[in-house]
Amino acid sequence: MLTTAPHLYIRRPSPTTAEFTVTTCPPLTLPLRLALLALSALRLSLAATVLFALYTRFITPPTPTTSPTSTKHHHPPFPPQTYTSSPLSPTAYLTPTHLTSLLHALAASAPGQHLARLTAPLPPWLLSALSGALLYFALLWRLHTTESLLVLRGLGIQTATTAAGGALWGGGGLWGWVVGFGGPATRFIPTEKIRDVLINEAFKGFEVRYYLAVVVEGEEDVVVVFPRLLPGRRIVETVWRGVRGCLYEAPPEGYGYDGQWKRG
Amino acid sequence: MHPFSILTLGIFVAGYITARWDLVTRLCELAIFAWDYGVITRAAKAFLALTLVFVCIFIPVERLATREAYLHDALMRVFWPTDLPRSDLRGVVVGWRNSALDVFVLAILDEVEPRNVESALQLGTLTRNAPHPVSRIYEVCGQSSMRVLGLSNTPESVEVDPSWIRVTTESGRRVPAVTCARASSIQIILFERPLPSQMQYISLNPIALALGDKKGIFRQDSPDSGEDDDEKDERQKKAKRRQLVEKLKQHSVIKRVPSAKEKALAKIVNQINWAWELERLLQSNVSRIGTRPKRSLSVSERVVESATTARDIMLVWIWDLFTVYILPIIQRIFILGLMGHRIFAEMLLRLLEWRARPKYAALKDISATAQQVEIRLQQFCYWPMQYVTLRLRKNDWGSVTTSHPDYIRFYNSLWLVANDVIIGIALGSYIIDNANWVAEEISQLLSSYTVDALQSSISWLMGWPAGLKLNSELAIFLGDLFLWVIDYWSSCIEALRPALPNIIWFIGFSSFAGASMPIALFSDLTSILTVHIYSFYLASARIYHWQLNILISLFHLFRGKKHNVLRNRIDSCDYDLDQLLVGTILFTLLFFLLPTVVVFYLNFAIARMTIISLKAVFDTMLSCLNHFPLFAIMLRVKDPRRLPGGIRFELRDTQDFRLAINDSPKKLPSTSVIYLKSIPLNFKAMFYQYFQMGNRIRKHYLSPEVVLCLLTGKFVPPLNRKNLYSLQYSMLPARRAGVMEMWDAVNSLPSPKRRIAPVYVPVLANGKRYPNNYGGGRLRSYG
Repeated sequence: MLTTAPHLYIRRPSPTTAEFTVTTCPPLTLPLRLALLALSALRLSLAATVLFALYTRFITPPTPTTSPTSTKHHHPPFPPQTYTSSPLSPTAYLTPTHLTSLLHALAASAPGQHLARLTAPLPPWLLSALSGALLYFALLWRLHTTESLLVLRGLGIQTATTAAGGALWGGGGLWGWVVGFGGPATRFIPTEKIRDVLINEAFKGFEVRYYLAVVVEGEEDVVVVFPRLLPGRRIVETVWRGVRGCLYEAPPEGYGYDGQWKRG
Repeated sequence: MHPFSILTLGIFVAGYITARWDLVTRLCELAIFAWDYGVITRAAKAFLALTLVFVCIFIPVERLATREAYLHDALMRVFWPTDLPRSDLRGVVVGWRNSALDVFVLAILDEVEPRNVESALQLGTLTRNAPHPVSRIYEVCGQSSMRVLGLSNTPESVEVDPSWIRVTTESGRRVPAVTCARASSIQIILFERPLPSQMQYISLNPIALALGDKKGIFRQDSPDSGEDDDEKDERQKKAKRRQLVEKLKQHSVIKRVPSAKEKALAKIVNQINWAWELERLLQSNVSRIGTRPKRSLSVSERVVESATTARDIMLVWIWDLFTVYILPIIQRIFILGLMGHRIFAEMLLRLLEWRARPKYAALKDISATAQQVEIRLQQFCYWPMQYVTLRLRKNDWGSVTTSHPDYIRFYNSLWLVANDVIIGIALGSYIIDNANWVAEEISQLLSSYTVDALQSSISWLMGWPAGLKLNSELAIFLGDLFLWVIDYWSSCIEALRPALPNIIWFIGFSSFAGASMPIALFSDLTSILTVHIYSFYLASARIYHWQLNILISLFHLFRGKKHNVLRNRIDSCDYDLDQLLVGTILFTLLFFLLPTVVVFYLNFAIARMTIISLKAVFDTMLSCLNHFPLFAIMLRVKDPRRLPGGIRFELRDTQDFRLAINDSPKKLPSTSVIYLKSIPLNFKAMFYQYFQMGNRIRKHYLSPEVVLCLLTGKFVPPLNRKNLYSLQYSMLPARRAGVMEMWDAVNSLPSPKRRIAPVYVPVLANGKRYPNNYGGGRLRSYG
């Protein structure tokens, strides 16, 4: 529901500049926006839960799990009632002591106890590995793959890929934003270096896929455009025509590129 | 024409005709003659044909040409720095004109006349007081002069040159509105100027952290030193690829000739790198354009000026004293010390590189310690040269970016060595303090792992290990043999034991030269103290290999075949009965003895592999200490723009741009707004050489050939040290500079500049004024 088959968007502010984007993200309607928002909220809360579980396991002393809970409820280390009743200025809520006491209170509450009971039988290494995997999924997992091709007449073409799935080094995602490796993985090829842009076919598994490839001067590999999604032939042909029309000067009438370039 | 002059002309013509009547009659005769022979019709036909040709060919060609030219030139490209101060004042846009419709904006000079600016640019007034030669600017930026590109914030009524651009920059607008009479569509490419003072720059290709001058050299000497199979394999693969690429080239029929705009990209990158410095230069000289009101200093300003001048004169005097009397002596002593060190290093290096024969291994190829010493010495030899290069950088414009990778390399290796020494001092003091304890531990480890464990495993193998019924006679023979050697070896080690604390103390002391020294020494010590395992492995592998070969040839005999060495194939052969009988008996015997040999072989092979992996761990630690891109990572975190890894473009939505335009009376040409950004170097590129080394090791040791070698008892060739350490040498030049070269280089350093008491020219009231903290105030917008 949250992803679709790859489809094409074209952005063309002037005849000499065009961006072709192939994405698995469906058009952003209101229900979809709400769903995505809910999903990210869910992921954030999952991450918070995992962090909290780690906190209760490794940082606080393990008294709540060993001692009977009934006595604990009567004498929590920092009773939360005192904080709710006493009027505090907004900044006072953010002091470290208050935050730790809040965490203690949370750990003493029923869900916290439940969480602690859940994590208690796991050995520490397994717990760290599990929480690491969960955190990775919650913070770094990306839902949609978006690949684009930017064509600038007189400058060159640029491919960009933002892949779905985990991303540790590759740009994008929350991690990318935090560490500053944001943005998709891009590759710019100056026009001078472009020898040809062509559609080729290749076997992938048991099917034949058509793909758009750029032959670069002085390089051994061709650069495959949309390497992750490998969209269907219709999209590839549209993009190819667009690139032809945009990258080089417009052909005069009656002298179509079609007859000439359609060897692919 | 005046009627009188017409009358005069008529009279003259009539007079001339009457005077030369015979000429006129001749002409008439000629005309009649021509008409009779059809000359006129032929001339008319020729004229008609020419007209036809003109109409059918030349006019369409001309039309096409103009249209092509129009199409070609319709696109205008404007490079615009985003951090250019914006103002509502009228101004003149100055920059580079790369081709007719390809302009690069450097600066906007406020409130000046375009004509004056043009003449100032031609006379070089605007580049006066440049700290370095001006010709260098034009050389690097690839243009012969800066031009006036257009006007900013000028009303439509003012007539301008059609190739000039009109720019509207307001303080509220993020992207300037650009129009040009000759352009039908416009690309505005916005970029943020890199700051040359902070060594930021952009480049099309990723910055090279390794020194890239010795690929050819490694390839050159590899064939004669017997290259590895995997290297040969790699080469063949490359050749095949090259063929494929050649084939691919034949696929494209049309070779497009790149236009001037397309070829300009490399130049433009340089222009972007220079933009900041040039704008400062231009703006500092704006006050020289035209006549402007002069203002004398106020009294308080004069007081301040004289006070600062007095202070400056004092400072200059002290500085002069220092540079004239003290500094040269210090410098001399330092240089002499450096040269002495260099000569000593040269001798040591010669010793380390000495080979008895060209194909023999040098000392540095055998021992990790020797190699470590060599690397350090080479670095010490290279540093002065690097330092000189970096010092000379100061004599050039800050925007010249060629030496920035050198800078990173230099400080990276300095930092690594400093780190190494710091860790080494900590490690060394610990080892020296606890020399006895460490020696005790090491001898304990040695005796338990290289003697006792081996002994127990051999005696386990001698007595039917894991229920395997081996041939006990052979097992006892082999086991006794190995045990006897181990006994002898353990007595040797016992003899060594009293000296061990001294050796450890020496290792600890050596670690003051860096933590890599003790690691290299330990690596060497491991290989020396496990020589017996190595020789056991060799012996058992030999025995196993022979037996396997004999078994294979006897198996052929058993089948009535034999291996034809000449043809390298299996031929049928008629054996006699006794031959077959003896062969079969031998085959059976050897076959039943094989498991016994196999277990011994496996035992030592595993021990040997363990030692190889241990040494690999040591080598990895060494390469981390010697080559880790520490400085690059620090820069990557601190200021990513100093480590450019290419450029990327971002297409911006032009909706808000269009909306803002709507209130202006004239329609803008179709415009695309593009941001040019620098990509910081990614981590994969930073650790590229580590990946490459890992790949090589993996290819070498985890390949099927190595497994086959292990299974058939052939000697597993160790990885060529040169390959393994190409990483470590990637920071050093292929050929080190000689002693004399270094002497010349060190002496060529310019002497420190004499400080001249600065005379403050007061900033004049017009033009843009830049405060001292220019970098901080550069985003200030006027308006």
